[in-house]
Amino acid sequence: MQMCDASSPSLTSSSCSAFAEACTVNLLIAEDSHGDRMILAALLRRLGHQVYEASDGLEAVAMFVKLEPDIVLMDALMPTMSGMDAARRIKALAGTRFVPVIFITSLASEREQAGCLEAGGDDFLLKPYSRVILEAKISAYSRMLNLHRSVMQQRDQIRTQNEQMLSEQRLARRVFDNVAHTGCLDASNIRYHASPLSIFNGDVLFAAERPGGGTLIFMGDFTGHGLPAAIGAMPVAEVFYGMAAKGFGAADLLTEINQKLRNILPVGMFCCGALFEADGKQGSIRVWNGGLPDGWLVRVNGERVAIPSMHLPLGVQPPERFDVTMELFPAATGDYVVLMTDGFPESCDAQGERFGEDSVRQVLEGLDAGDHPFDALMARLQAFTGHPDPADDMTLCCLEVGIGGGVTDVAESTPESALSGSGSWHCVYEVRDRALADFNPLPLLLHICMEVPGLRRKSGDVYTILSELYSNALEHGVLKLSSEWKKTAEGFSLYYEERMRRLSDTQGHYVRFTLDHEPRVEAGRLRIRCEDSGQGFERQENTMGARAASVHEYAGRGMGILKRLAKEVSICGSGNCIEIVYDWEFPAQGATSQ
Amino acid sequence: MNDIPRLDEEALAELQDVMEDEFGVLIETYLADSRTRISGLKEAADTGDAERLRKAAHSLKGSCINIGVPKLGNLCFELEVLGSEGRLEGAERLLTAVEQEFEEVARELENFNQ
Amino acid sequence: MSVSTRRSDDGQVLMIQVHGRFDFSTHQAFRDAYEHSDAPVKEYVVDLTHTTYLDSSALGMLLLLRDHAGGDVASVVIENCNADVRRILSISNFEQLFSIR
Repeated sequence: MQMCDASSPSLTSSSCSAFAEACTVNLLIAEDSHGDRMILAALLRRLGHQVYEASDGLEAVAMFVKLEPDIVLMDALMPTMSGMDAARRIKALAGTRFVPVIFITSLASEREQAGCLEAGGDDFLLKPYSRVILEAKISAYSRMLNLHRSVMQQRDQIRTQNEQMLSEQRLARRVFDNVAHTGCLDASNIRYHASPLSIFNGDVLFAAERPGGGTLIFMGDFTGHGLPAAIGAMPVAEVFYGMAAKGFGAADLLTEINQKLRNILPVGMFCCGALFEADGKQGSIRVWNGGLPDGWLVRVNGERVAIPSMHLPLGVQPPERFDVTMELFPAATGDYVVLMTDGFPESCDAQGERFGEDSVRQVLEGLDAGDHPFDALMARLQAFTGHPDPADDMTLCCLEVGIGGGVTDVAESTPESALSGSGSWHCVYEVRDRALADFNPLPLLLHICMEVPGLRRKSGDVYTILSELYSNALEHGVLKLSSEWKKTAEGFSLYYEERMRRLSDTQGHYVRFTLDHEPRVEAGRLRIRCEDSGQGFERQENTMGARAASVHEYAGRGMGILKRLAKEVSICGSGNCIEIVYDWEFPAQGATSQ
Repeated sequence: MNDIPRLDEEALAELQDVMEDEFGVLIETYLADSRTRISGLKEAADTGDAERLRKAAHSLKGSCINIGVPKLGNLCFELEVLGSEGRLEGAERLLTAVEQEFEEVARELENFNQ
Repeated sequence: MSVSTRRSDDGQVLMIQVHGRFDFSTHQAFRDAYEHSDAPVKEYVVDLTHTTYLDSSALGMLLLLRDHAGGDVASVVIENCNADVRRILSISNFEQLFSIR
């Protein structure tokens, strides 16, 4: 069939118009009377169409198969194979292709005419042939054919595009999956449930250990489902893991994540999320919850503390209005922190009743010693919903607080830089006045040290040393806080309240780091000196024991760690200055690094 | 009966227009087909096959109408009715009329062709 | 009709009512409600009396309305929430951005 431009394959509305132009068509006529056949063929050729002629039903079917005409005109009464039978055969052969079959008949009776249609005919033409009617009918059917064909083409196009989209989605899911539930989630003290990949609900769960110890966990629930929801996940993952590895703390992470999401997500899209930092060493956890349901602190002593959402979700507030205030709780070994996305309390049973936040609280309050909150919650949810795999669409995470464990080296995850790094250098960095309240210099100082290739495997040690020196200098030197307070629960809150209060007036104070690095053969020596503007303490030179006690009192537990990690530790100045020497060396060939 | 013309001049003129050079071939074809059909009619009458008579008469009627020889066509219609009613007495008389009319038609059509 | 609008007598306040579920399917109708107002609007009131359910895409739509209305200087009030709707707004701390009454 010769197609006019109007019916070229495109998805413009013109090709789908009901008034698509008629075109010339290929016609098959089956008529046993030779003369009549001649007349009909001549009439049709004059209209510009291509005509094939068959003289009986059998021949008509054979020619149909061979020539694939667009329209068939069939004499109802023919020898060999009747027109009705031939029409049935042809319709069956055409299958899903629309081939109009028009019966030619001089049969007067209505019943017989209806019989033609029942046999599969689409229309009939009466003898004697009327040129006018013949032309009109062929024209009408060829328009119908065009319309049918363009609809089929569009259907095929849509089908192809849909398959393409589905395959792109599958790919996107794979990429998302590489990002969505990652990090140190497999640590022995973390239990979690995340939705199967097929759901693609855009929830994320990230976990990282900080250099120097402590775990950071981020749980996020992006608005929407599927691809748009998943788009935010990747930049957030980068920020989270990148900053965590560099030693940034929770507050800095949150600020950066909020800003990033605000920049990349359109207005109206955001991420309900919670970030918490568990510091077993310090015996504390800090949590920020913006938009997730209540988190819970399940204490070994039986206490249950709710951690409600106090903030707008991430990506909503501009940086200057973003509130990074975190809730701080003392935590002991054996305590659990529970976080969940709203899919958990929103899960419904067969009657459509919600599981609800109250049920969560009940489960946690009803725990016996030795029960794991994760198992208890999952079990109760399963029982409630009646599904073997409960709510697909939710995330639940449970972390067991541990004692300050060993210092973790995150060296394996920090990418090796291609830069060789300078061998010998000296750096002084001072944080003073207001900056002491707002600014955390540790990531920067760590970064400087990490320029030494040999120190990259030792990021945990170096960070811990810097961190201990700084917190001692800041809290004990500048702020004059005593770590004795932290030993009781009331003292704990008091300590941090005082800390916050005293930080608001640090004018005139400073903490100064002086870093030196000297390379050796296949090794190096890092010297770190940290001085603060505090009073120091009285040196009682006459009593070694007393001085030792004061030193211990001054530096809390930190001194022990410093002594363990560094080669030398010395106190200078009036006690407001500590210097450490840290040696490193490349492992011997063939030996594994520590 | 005499009201129905032997030739439908208008229809023939139109056919000439449609068929152009092929008009002559069409006439020859029609005449040859009709002779065959008329033989068939006679056989049907002789063997008393009413159904065959009906079908053949119906076909010939159709070609006659298409060509434009209505009088002959009408005679075929009467034969068709006889055949459908299963009455074959009177068929022989009608058949003779058909044959005679056909000879006239053939002559006039060949003239028309010139 | 899931979203209907009404102007106050003085023309300064545009009231938008959402009926039934306020979710992703409401998106276009909600936007149409405020985007094509010819006269300037001083305050928007979103009336959730007949709103049975609200999800995160509805929260997104409220943020879009607020942005359209001027962001931080906008006056957008949300009123007549049922308990469930109230809870959802509260978990997201939307009272920090909207007057909820």
